[in-house]
Amino acid sequence: MRRARLALCLGLAGLVPATARADLVYVLNSADASISVIESTTREEVRRIPVLREAHHLILTPDRGELLVGDSGGNELIAIDPASATVLKRDRFSNPYHMELSPDGKLLVVTSLRRDQVDIYEAASRTLLARLKVPDKPSHLAYTPDSRTVFVTLQGARGLMAIDLATQKPLWTADVGPQPAGVTWHNGKLLVGLMGSDHVAVVSPADGKVERRIYVGRGAHTIFPSPDGKLLYVNSRVDSRITVLDAETLDPRVTWPLPGGPDCIAFDPEGRLWVTLRWIARVAVIDPKTGETDSFPVGRSPHGIFVEKRATPLPPLAVSETLPAAQPAHDAPAPLVQTEDDMPARPEAAAASAPRPASQRRLWSR
Amino acid sequence: MMSRIADLYAQATGWIFEHALQPLLYALGLMDWAEDAYAWLDFALFGLFGILVVVAVCRPLEAWRPVEPRTDRQAVRTDMLYTFLSRLGLLPLLAFVLLASAQTAWEAWLTEAGLLPPTLEELVPLLREQPLLAFAAYVVILDFAEYWRHRAQHGLRWWWALHAIHHAQRQMTFWTDDRNHVLDDVLAAVWFGAIALLIGVPPGQFPLIVLLLRLAESLSHANVRLDYGRLGERLLVSPRFHRLHHAPLSAGAHGKNYAVLLPVWDWLFGTADFRRGVFPPTGTPEEPEALASGGWLRQQAVGLRRMVAALAGR
Repeated sequence: MRRARLALCLGLAGLVPATARADLVYVLNSADASISVIESTTREEVRRIPVLREAHHLILTPDRGELLVGDSGGNELIAIDPASATVLKRDRFSNPYHMELSPDGKLLVVTSLRRDQVDIYEAASRTLLARLKVPDKPSHLAYTPDSRTVFVTLQGARGLMAIDLATQKPLWTADVGPQPAGVTWHNGKLLVGLMGSDHVAVVSPADGKVERRIYVGRGAHTIFPSPDGKLLYVNSRVDSRITVLDAETLDPRVTWPLPGGPDCIAFDPEGRLWVTLRWIARVAVIDPKTGETDSFPVGRSPHGIFVEKRATPLPPLAVSETLPAAQPAHDAPAPLVQTEDDMPARPEAAAASAPRPASQRRLWSR
Repeated sequence: MMSRIADLYAQATGWIFEHALQPLLYALGLMDWAEDAYAWLDFALFGLFGILVVVAVCRPLEAWRPVEPRTDRQAVRTDMLYTFLSRLGLLPLLAFVLLASAQTAWEAWLTEAGLLPPTLEELVPLLREQPLLAFAAYVVILDFAEYWRHRAQHGLRWWWALHAIHHAQRQMTFWTDDRNHVLDDVLAAVWFGAIALLIGVPPGQFPLIVLLLRLAESLSHANVRLDYGRLGERLLVSPRFHRLHHAPLSAGAHGKNYAVLLPVWDWLFGTADFRRGVFPPTGTPEEPEALASGGWLRQQAVGLRRMVAALAGR
């Protein structure tokens, strides 16, 4: 915190070059019931947001105004203003594990790993449209670019399921290999990380047929495209590494050993990778140009991660903010922070947390 | 300092998981259980840590002011075997797997019925902002549940047939806490885990609560002439308080001092005996001798046979 304050003072005094950054890194500590908010320059935790039970995955709303964090064990969806790390609201929500908005922004699909359910919501109102009972452990999901189909890996059933979003019924379920985890849409194919094997399966979205296998090391897990789309980063849990694939040919280019069980990856504005290391409670930062790696401690079993661009450090908490909230979090005053780029202005955030009509509130809190 | 310790602990558990457990899960085709196994590793390490703490605290106390000399070392060794089996190994794992499946079914059923599983913090919003208070609330609720489980162990004939193994020990030491029939342990774990799930104990706090209660239970069994004074005896279960529970006259349904951590439950429900300075011998003379001096396997077999007989009404 001292370094953050110093950076703030220097920034206010105009002593820090204009290119200086103080991005906020959000890390979901799934076994610590908390979210660490880290300042990227100092690697210090500037906020710790408590959650009820187990936060695993997060998404950013299209207007970048809300970071939505799913607390699966606590049955809550937590909306956070990513620019200020302020909790806007906490809503009752059934077991949100992995979730993604459809490319057209109309639907929100949520997998419930422990309850063997896939829920389809209308994104704007969070109205539950359909709940599908599916085979063992629905894990990650991906959409077709036209938002017509969603694909869900079934971790305990070797399966990949395609669901038609118009009819909300399964189209097919295919055996893709042992313990499929991450799934990514890529150049008209699906890439599926097989945690029980050593490869990524390239799967046809038409029928679920495995067309090709790409070796990446034991415990293949999830696949993340680089910001420029030229590379794919694949993490492997058992061999504990990241394999860099050429996005065009899917040929491996380089492998970075990364002890600690690499999981989710986020990218900062400089293109560095921020990787959660599940088993050693750390986050690794990798420079993709050199492969150089650094790491710092966070909470237990860190899972989802997100980097929010910021030019200046987050101000220290005021005394009133460290006390238990006497009013709902979304009524908190707008923080006096200056963010860069196209960060949402306060009025938008306020609008997002404005009271909804009673009917919508009920549906939202389903 | 604490964050440094937490980081070291994470490095150590991470190393064990990556080099021992995870390759095993991969080889067995069980990688979808990796996160559960990682959580279970905490249980096993907490168990080991719990044993070390208990030995460090209780052994010097027993050497300082023993109630009785340690004459039957074989009986103590049997209790030690019980402890290692119970705290490090298969039983927590078994309970964990059973409970994880039960939790899935219970929560899926609730959501299907249009309900979401509750948490204590939602009923008492103050607890959301006060994690220490929430922790204390969970401990009190679970301790209350433990009191009633203990009452049932003594009150139901078939359950007493199992629980008598625990009471048969004449050479009671801090190791005696884990001297239980396997079935008795499973029942206890299911009861404890189910209550914890019902009130929504956070996974991260569960091992801590278990550690705290286990430490209190081990200390209460210690062979030490120790009471906590007039007030303290009413606040925390002491070795004196619990020794009286293990006296022959307290066997079966006629028991006193059932509490695990907080004597207030005995006080409230009329089962407390606060006579200070009373350190009776322990054991159950009317039960079969095999329960007292038999080995682990023999005690298990006799206990099971007696439970079946009780259920059959013999």
